[in-house]
Amino acid sequence: MAGNENGTVLQFAPFQSSVDEGFWHGLSSLKLNKLKTDESPISITGFYAPCSNPQVSSHLTLLTESLPTEPSDGHPAETSRGNRNKCSVPGILYNTNTLEGFHSLDKQGLLKAEAKKIWEDIRSGKAEEDSSVLTRFLLISFADLKKFNFYYWFAFPALVLDPPATLVDLRPASQWFTLEEAESVSACCNEWRMSSLTADVPFFLVSISSNSHATIRSLKDFKACQQDGHKILFAFYDPCHLPNNPGWPLRNFLAFISARWNIKKVQFLCYRENHGFADLGLSLVGEALVQPSQAWQDQQHVPNAVGWELNKGKRVPRCINLSTSMDPTRMAVSAA
Amino acid sequence: MVLSQKLHEAFKGTVERITNPRTVSAFKEKGVLSVNEFVIAGDNLVSKCPTWSWESGDSNKRKSYLPADKQFLITRNVPCLRRVVSIQEEYEAAGGEILLDDDDNDGWLATHGQPKDTKGDGEENVPSMETLEISKKNTIQSISSYFGNEEEEDIPDMEEFEEPDNLIESDPATLQTTYLVAHEPDDDNILRTRTYDVSITYDKYYQTPRVWLTGYDESRMLLEPELVLEDVSQDHARKTVTIEDHPHLPGKHASVHPCKHAAVMKKLIEPLIAGGFEPQVDKYLFLFLKFVATVIPTIEYDYTMDFDLGGSSST
Repeated sequence: MAGNENGTVLQFAPFQSSVDEGFWHGLSSLKLNKLKTDESPISITGFYAPCSNPQVSSHLTLLTESLPTEPSDGHPAETSRGNRNKCSVPGILYNTNTLEGFHSLDKQGLLKAEAKKIWEDIRSGKAEEDSSVLTRFLLISFADLKKFNFYYWFAFPALVLDPPATLVDLRPASQWFTLEEAESVSACCNEWRMSSLTADVPFFLVSISSNSHATIRSLKDFKACQQDGHKILFAFYDPCHLPNNPGWPLRNFLAFISARWNIKKVQFLCYRENHGFADLGLSLVGEALVQPSQAWQDQQHVPNAVGWELNKGKRVPRCINLSTSMDPTRMAVSAA
Repeated sequence: MVLSQKLHEAFKGTVERITNPRTVSAFKEKGVLSVNEFVIAGDNLVSKCPTWSWESGDSNKRKSYLPADKQFLITRNVPCLRRVVSIQEEYEAAGGEILLDDDDNDGWLATHGQPKDTKGDGEENVPSMETLEISKKNTIQSISSYFGNEEEEDIPDMEEFEEPDNLIESDPATLQTTYLVAHEPDDDNILRTRTYDVSITYDKYYQTPRVWLTGYDESRMLLEPELVLEDVSQDHARKTVTIEDHPHLPGKHASVHPCKHAAVMKKLIEPLIAGGFEPQVDKYLFLFLKFVATVIPTIEYDYTMDFDLGGSSST
């Protein structure tokens, strides 16, 4: 764990998806009532939270409210901002009309297009103002509404660093901080998570003064923080529970830190919780070396991206059958 | 659903429509909660155990007697590392649980009973061989293969859609994990890791909270509700735990039936009052979840172990 020698490639645990049954119900009614045969992509919202248990990772979850509200139903779009267990992640859905259409989608091209959005938000500085755009997802689906089969495949586009980042050190945060620092970091992280203004902001800076006092700053305060001469950690809500690997959101964060601020030696904090509170035994602090990529000098260049989710280790889509809960006769009864 | 259950649901629905929600507190006398008390207790749960949050749910299913943004409580992605039948056998051998008030047929459990005679290993001490058998064979059966029509052709085989290697390029920075994502103390049954979404609604008829379970397998695919019963104490599966429509979420979900909740809560509160404690209503859900844990002992949701049930009467 601690003290990895130079040259170890930093490996990230892939994000995992989870779709609530309500999402498919919502998509079906959206398709029947509004989209019909329109295959235009639609913006959707996924939700995630820091890992909150030493045994399982958090997921990127889709719920009924992930879909745009149908304007016809008269209810205003609901926002769940400020819910600490539901940090918003912007996503895009390509729902096809046929199974053939689903399989023939240009998966590489779609992934590249989403990666380009992330890259542009990094270059333009938008990610500094709203860090939630650093993590995006892509969902392709085909809803077979005759058999109630839903075919789908998630991608979590991650910009590839070339050469990959290497790991200098990675250990539980509780071993990296002094006792006083750890106490102060825990306290300010809990405060950040309790405030409805910041609870769902997944990327932030932890600034530690020479007298062990920690404060949390948002990304846009980076320049100001630098002048303080404090120790700065780049922190993110880590959905991963593994003790030796950071989770997926750190990938684009590192690309951002390198491209935006040209930092080569990055100290990062994988923020994790237990029972809903900061847990520095589960949280990790690491130090990574990021080589600036020559190609990034070119304004037109977009880094490569990876991120299609595997299904039980295989490159296959997922499928769920919901005939028991979507049978038309039953829907008629419940609607009555 | 059996006919009597259907009839009761219809009756319950009618009563709920024509009666007003409880507004006067009868917490100490009857173990029930008023609507306001449910919100107070829910607020306290969310603040002490932040993995829980309030949900507004489907706007068409909203109950007017509850605040729009506080319709029900939910905690997601709760690990369940072992099937209950596997621990139940160990537990029973070690002393196990005893039924409280079996005469009344309440059927709630108290922990730390008398050790059972393990020598005999007779039929009645092994009440769940059937379920155990199922759990061994079908531990990773998910909704996609379990639900749906009988005909083979309707269950799509995803293997045939496997993409060529070039879709997912070899990337040295991607951790190559197996799809198993949880650490498991016993290596051999790593496949048994499940997660649950646990929600609490207010049941207007019984005037108590009601717990609902949505299960997922280890690759986070929805579990068929019948399989959820493997994670329910076998004394409760199919009796106090039933599979019904959730008042706010689509689909069938397993639920701890609330018909005995008030009686059990009253029994839990009585000794406190007798001991000079004044039980506080905002702690109701902690006590409630503590007793629900006897029904679903392997689903590790948060409810704080170290709460103080009430102020002492002297303060």
